[in-house]
Amino acid sequence: MNAVLIRCGVVALLLLFAASCGGPPGAPPSEVIVARTADLPQGPADAAWRHAPVYRAELLLQDMVEPRLIEASTSLVSVRAMTDGSEIAFQLDWKDDTRDDLPSPGRFSDACAVQLPVGISADVPAPQMGEPGRAVEISFWRATWQASLDGRPDDIRAIHPGATVDHYPFEAAGLEPGSKDRAAMRARYSPARALGNVMEGPRERAVEDLLAEGPGSLTRAESQRSDGSGRRSDDGWQVMIRRPLSEALTANGRGQIAFAVWQGAAGEVGARKMRTGWVPIAIEEGS
Amino acid sequence: MARVYNWQIRREMSYWYGESRPARQFAAVFDINKCIACQTCTLACKTTWTSGKGQEYMLWNNVESKPYGFYPLGWDVNLLDKLGPQRWSGGRFEGRTLFEAAEAGERVLGWRPEEIDYANPNVGEDDCAGAIENGAHLQVPHMAWFYYLARICNHCTYPGCLASCPRGSIYKRPEDGIVLVDQGRCRGYQECVKACPYKKVFFNPMTGTSEKCIACFPKLETGLQPQCFVNCIGKIRMAGWVSRPSEAREDNPIDYLVHVRKLALPLFPQWGLEPNVYYIPPIHAPRRYLEQMFGPGVEQAIDTYRKAHRDKDLAGLLELFGSTEKVVPRWKRKGELIFGQDEKGREIVRVPMTEPVVIRSRFDVAHGVVRTNCP
Ligand code: SF4
Ligand code: SF4
Repeated sequence: MNAVLIRCGVVALLLLFAASCGGPPGAPPSEVIVARTADLPQGPADAAWRHAPVYRAELLLQDMVEPRLIEASTSLVSVRAMTDGSEIAFQLDWKDDTRDDLPSPGRFSDACAVQLPVGISADVPAPQMGEPGRAVEISFWRATWQASLDGRPDDIRAIHPGATVDHYPFEAAGLEPGSKDRAAMRARYSPARALGNVMEGPRERAVEDLLAEGPGSLTRAESQRSDGSGRRSDDGWQVMIRRPLSEALTANGRGQIAFAVWQGAAGEVGARKMRTGWVPIAIEEGS
Repeated sequence: MARVYNWQIRREMSYWYGESRPARQFAAVFDINKCIACQTCTLACKTTWTSGKGQEYMLWNNVESKPYGFYPLGWDVNLLDKLGPQRWSGGRFEGRTLFEAAEAGERVLGWRPEEIDYANPNVGEDDCAGAIENGAHLQVPHMAWFYYLARICNHCTYPGCLASCPRGSIYKRPEDGIVLVDQGRCRGYQECVKACPYKKVFFNPMTGTSEKCIACFPKLETGLQPQCFVNCIGKIRMAGWVSRPSEAREDNPIDYLVHVRKLALPLFPQWGLEPNVYYIPPIHAPRRYLEQMFGPGVEQAIDTYRKAHRDKDLAGLLELFGSTEKVVPRWKRKGELIFGQDEKGREIVRVPMTEPVVIRSRFDVAHGVVRTNCP
């Protein structure tokens, strides 16, 4: 009991510290305020988002670990957040001149992510993907996945309309369409899919839950709880990511969060990204 | 970065990880002089491994005509250009390797092909670009020349692909040195595609992961040579195991060709990856071009090769190429016979120095027909 009280005290102190020196001087909300709602918005363009205050997160280069990003690209992501008490939804809005949602050699996808520390702890792990023994959980949205969900066929001609293909062994006349044998033959030539590592192709969600304990340790979480969708706005992307409230947010109504944005056209992928440090996040006071 | 020893450049160099050599290292010797560019190897690989969706453009094995053939376009010259002129001093490389020349924010000096660079393999590459003077006669090296360069992943001792992956999704098997992309772990960042100087990792847009030559490990594990070796029409290839120079064995065919006779040379050793496909250089191409590609051992290798017909051991060992599907880890010559053996000295195959000539009679009595040589 005492330990819990002390821990809460430390959290409060840290937050005071964060509130007093966090955020550029004069800038409106210096933390992400999560608006309460009975029903979470249905998508990134839902009118309900206007009830949530905008937090403008300034993005920094990931220049701590190789491979690093050398040239800054996206400088800002506007964030809104809403909760219904059990789930939290984010709207991420950023400027990006090009739509990059086709997977191909030498091409990269636009993407964004939110990161939260796992568990309730007085201090947070390193903002760069956590640290050994101190995990972070990440909800990651990718434009190529969105395009798949929006109906891009699982066919090379959807990527290269001019492609001609002589023959795939799994389309041999002896293998009935839809048969087990045909699926097995196809899996033989798609080892990643056969292992359940569906980085492209038919997907159930455009958002993936990941865990990390430091750079290079990113792993798909066992339970996939995040969902969401993205759409092109007039000048960039508008994405909604929806996931269960983190432990810290449920217990304290406060916590820390970080954001990242990848611009495919700038060759950004993996560690080459624009990101924030930890940003305080608090659920709006009230009912 | 750690310090590791690379025997091909005869010095220590920087590498992302410490030196950790496998129990034995998969290796190969390709005799360029015998390749006819039939592409049977390419298709043997294609039908076996890369007939899936998203693999349409991939050639884990490819054969290109040098100097103007590339797959992907400009794979070698782009990098040579980026690295700039470097220097060998005797057998020692004094310049910078790709790890030592890495740019800020990178682990390896590399470049990223665009998809169009993979689009036209072999098209127009062996058109003769030089004019031959009237009255010219054939010389060695040839006045106008090209040669066929068959390429697979080199299963490098210090792989650029492996060093570049921020997720550690690429690993080198401790038992045989084969370099693999873990298809369960790869997230398709394509860092390896950029970092492999030989451009032998390929991004699969349908799985979203990178894929590469696996040295037919399911075959190798049962003692068989990979598909591109056993299907080679020109019998230019031999698979086996290469030792470090200090542990080289005369009775290991690869060691004999690489270390003892110094006939087979690595591809762009100056890049620092210690690649493990060794080439017998073509005797008819200009030496300076070949030295850039195979290092300073070219002159000696060509000299040795041109005298091989007088050298029973060497000529005999070259006869073992393409003689069996099995990997031949040991060999010996007894008079006019060459024996391929397993590690315990048991015979796998025997070949004569000279194939016996058999002349068949014109009339086949058994079938009552006249034999013809019509195709
Ligand atoms: S040739 Fe390329 S893909 Fe193969 S091990 Fe070397 S660096 Fe990796
Ligand atoms: S099968 Fe052999 S001879 Fe034919 S192209 Fe390949 S390496 Fe050359």
